[in-house]
Amino acid sequence: MDTVINDFVQVLRDHRVRVSPAESIDSMRALEQVGLGERQVVRDTLRATLIKNLDDIETFDRLFDLYFGLQETTEKPPIRPHIHDHDHGGAPGQLELGEEAKGEEQENDHSHEENEPVDLRRFFGEDSTVPSQSMHQDPDRMRLSLLSQQLILNRKQGPLNKALERLTHQLKMRRVRGMFNPGRLTPHSGGQELPLDISAVELDNLVDHLHEMEVDEDLIRQIEANADDILAGLPELIERMLERQKKLENKEPESLDPKQSALRKLTEFSPAEQREMEGAVRRLARQIHGAKTRRLKQDRTGRISIPHTLRNNVRYEGIPFNPVLRRHREHKPRLVLLCDISLSTRNLAKFWLHLVYQMQNLFSKVRTFVFVAEVAEVTQLFEEQPMRRAVETIFDGKIIDADVNSDFGLAAERFRNEYLPTINHRTTVVILGDGRNNGKDPNTRALEEITEHAKQTIWITPEPKWGWNLGSCDMPLYESICDRVEVVRTVEGLADVAEELVKVRV
Amino acid sequence: MFESVDDAREKLAAQSYVCDRKLATVVFLATRLDKPILAEGPAGVGKTELAKSLAASLDRSLIRLQCYEGLDEAKALYEWEYGKQLLYTQVLREKIGEVLGPTKDLREAAEALREREDVFFSENFLVERPILQAIRSEKPPVLLLDEIDRADEEFEAFLLEFLSDYQVSIPEIGTIVAEHKPIIILTSNRTRELSEALKRRCLHLQIGYPSAEVELEIVRLKAPGVGEALAQQLVATIQEIRKLELRKSPSIGETIDWAQSLVVLGGPHLTKELIEETISVIIKYDRDAEKVLAHLRGTGQRTALEQRNNEQHEAGREIWSRHHHKTKPEPGDKYGSLQG
Repeated sequence: MDTVINDFVQVLRDHRVRVSPAESIDSMRALEQVGLGERQVVRDTLRATLIKNLDDIETFDRLFDLYFGLQETTEKPPIRPHIHDHDHGGAPGQLELGEEAKGEEQENDHSHEENEPVDLRRFFGEDSTVPSQSMHQDPDRMRLSLLSQQLILNRKQGPLNKALERLTHQLKMRRVRGMFNPGRLTPHSGGQELPLDISAVELDNLVDHLHEMEVDEDLIRQIEANADDILAGLPELIERMLERQKKLENKEPESLDPKQSALRKLTEFSPAEQREMEGAVRRLARQIHGAKTRRLKQDRTGRISIPHTLRNNVRYEGIPFNPVLRRHREHKPRLVLLCDISLSTRNLAKFWLHLVYQMQNLFSKVRTFVFVAEVAEVTQLFEEQPMRRAVETIFDGKIIDADVNSDFGLAAERFRNEYLPTINHRTTVVILGDGRNNGKDPNTRALEEITEHAKQTIWITPEPKWGWNLGSCDMPLYESICDRVEVVRTVEGLADVAEELVKVRV
Repeated sequence: MFESVDDAREKLAAQSYVCDRKLATVVFLATRLDKPILAEGPAGVGKTELAKSLAASLDRSLIRLQCYEGLDEAKALYEWEYGKQLLYTQVLREKIGEVLGPTKDLREAAEALREREDVFFSENFLVERPILQAIRSEKPPVLLLDEIDRADEEFEAFLLEFLSDYQVSIPEIGTIVAEHKPIIILTSNRTRELSEALKRRCLHLQIGYPSAEVELEIVRLKAPGVGEALAQQLVATIQEIRKLELRKSPSIGETIDWAQSLVVLGGPHLTKELIEETISVIIKYDRDAEKVLAHLRGTGQRTALEQRNNEQHEAGREIWSRHHHKTKPEPGDKYGSLQG
């Protein structure tokens, strides 16, 4: 059993769910307590012990279903990033179709019925490599997961070389062929963003792990007996997988503009990067302190204040029964975040919003505004919605019209008129934007007024300084007004800003 | 101690705490593995109530520590009773004089005093705060650290030692280890993200809004005066309201309040007028109330409501399994199947 759990934990880690060794030990101890009799209990147990972030629950549920059988695959798959970098993958992809011809054909028929041009293109066009990859690998995964389910839920200790050998042999063949597929050979440009659960490496891991387990004769027989059933069920499975894939593809009809793909790195975050960002924001958080109060306040800790102690203890003949402690209290940081979500920074805006979402989670007093030409507060939205949905809502244009040209001047004006009272001498204003005003009035006056009210103003822009002179960029004007301007292009960059700020801290 | 998951569930139910198996599993594990539970979920879904019921079902006392910004160990763990210490020094002044009498010089006197220092830093002068109380208690209690997300990060860090090893270190005295490990429940409304270190030490429990079935059972238990028909209508309406995008969806607490107020008002059925009159019980924001009323008027007919209600009753289990880990309704579901 330990092997199976460890293996499952490994799969979780491959999906960037952070599971510590202590937690996996906990899960085993917990399973000893509840036994393996009931699937739901096992599931709840593993979830309670292994998964500590709400965001990871979805991943866990999906993987649990995949790993421990197929009975309940009704879960919603996560949104996968669109993959752009497999321009030459068409032919080998088609060749691969041969092996699972039956399932494929069904699939094609299916999509004909659906009559959706987007999907058709996927089968015959350039994009076809990706679905075919997933078609081959996902059923394999499922077959494996059935094995592992047998292992754990039937309490069959130790695993199965012979039965596996046959299956895995087949598997490895396919994987080798997969390697000749140019679509797979672009790890530098797109590999990072490939949906993890169709990655060959991971499949490898899974197979290897299963290999490492010891074999139980009964189990092998059982599996061999079931193998036909499993295979018979394949077309249906593939169909389901494809349908899922289809849904995913429909969700993100993004245009493939070269500039955008260059910036993609900024917008598509893997969970690991998100975590990194969270760490960076935490560091930033520690840095952006509120001001120390000038006056000492009474407190539980701090230094003994002789005068106050004496005054307070006069009634005890000056014997200091009640020492009075005082210290400088620190104000909680108050942040006001202003995010540009205009078309020119559409991709970056996603990055902003992720950043902002993190910040709002970490700071207690954060108010978030988005602007293009209008300004709107989204603090509430971020509090109530999970990140992905909140970001989607903003771009839907329900809150403000996100499709007009950005106008910092007007936005600053509006902000000043409507929200200036939210800013006081303890507030740090962080503006996220590229400063491209599209030739409109920069309206430095409004920004100046905002900075006068705030403790400090930090502008974070994605564009390096040399770019500021190109096009209608008003950054040079704004730079003189803000306390500091930071160029942040990547998550690491953000971390650097945090570090930098720490150094300058007074 | 609970025998099994089902036993835990039954015993909690005996304290009129209705829960699903997921929750029971976690509670059972917590008692078996001596691990704290971190319960997260929106306000009013029974996180605090869980601690109370758990304490009652295990026949243990409940020690509660409400966390807030600025909470520190002086308030949570222990505090020296300065006044008492000073009083003793004053009262014992003569005795101290005696002790120090035979000493020759200042150095020797200081030495003599140091040897007896522990008199003034004994547990006698320690004011026990909830955590220390939980550790030193003869019979292990249930310790509830309520709304841990409101406390500062420093406090979280301070808790780590306690949560993993059930011990605390007091500089003047040393380390105090719990002989009987208390059951600890931390609750969080997720106003901020808790640190990984804290989460790692806990079993994680996500409590969401209950399914129609469970909620109905809760209403029956907590508001016994409510007739069966009314209870069903009420729960169906609440479930419907939760599907709207509101600033604050009504929680179980509000359902119960509502049920109780309807008992007082004494209608056998839920009419539109009655809903309008009592909407303030379940909805706490004006704008939300408008939204809800508009929605209920739009979907209007009671017959539809009843029909929905029956469907939901049957489909309860299924709905639960679909939604049980989501705190918020899908926007797509917004208008549900009530449109008919």
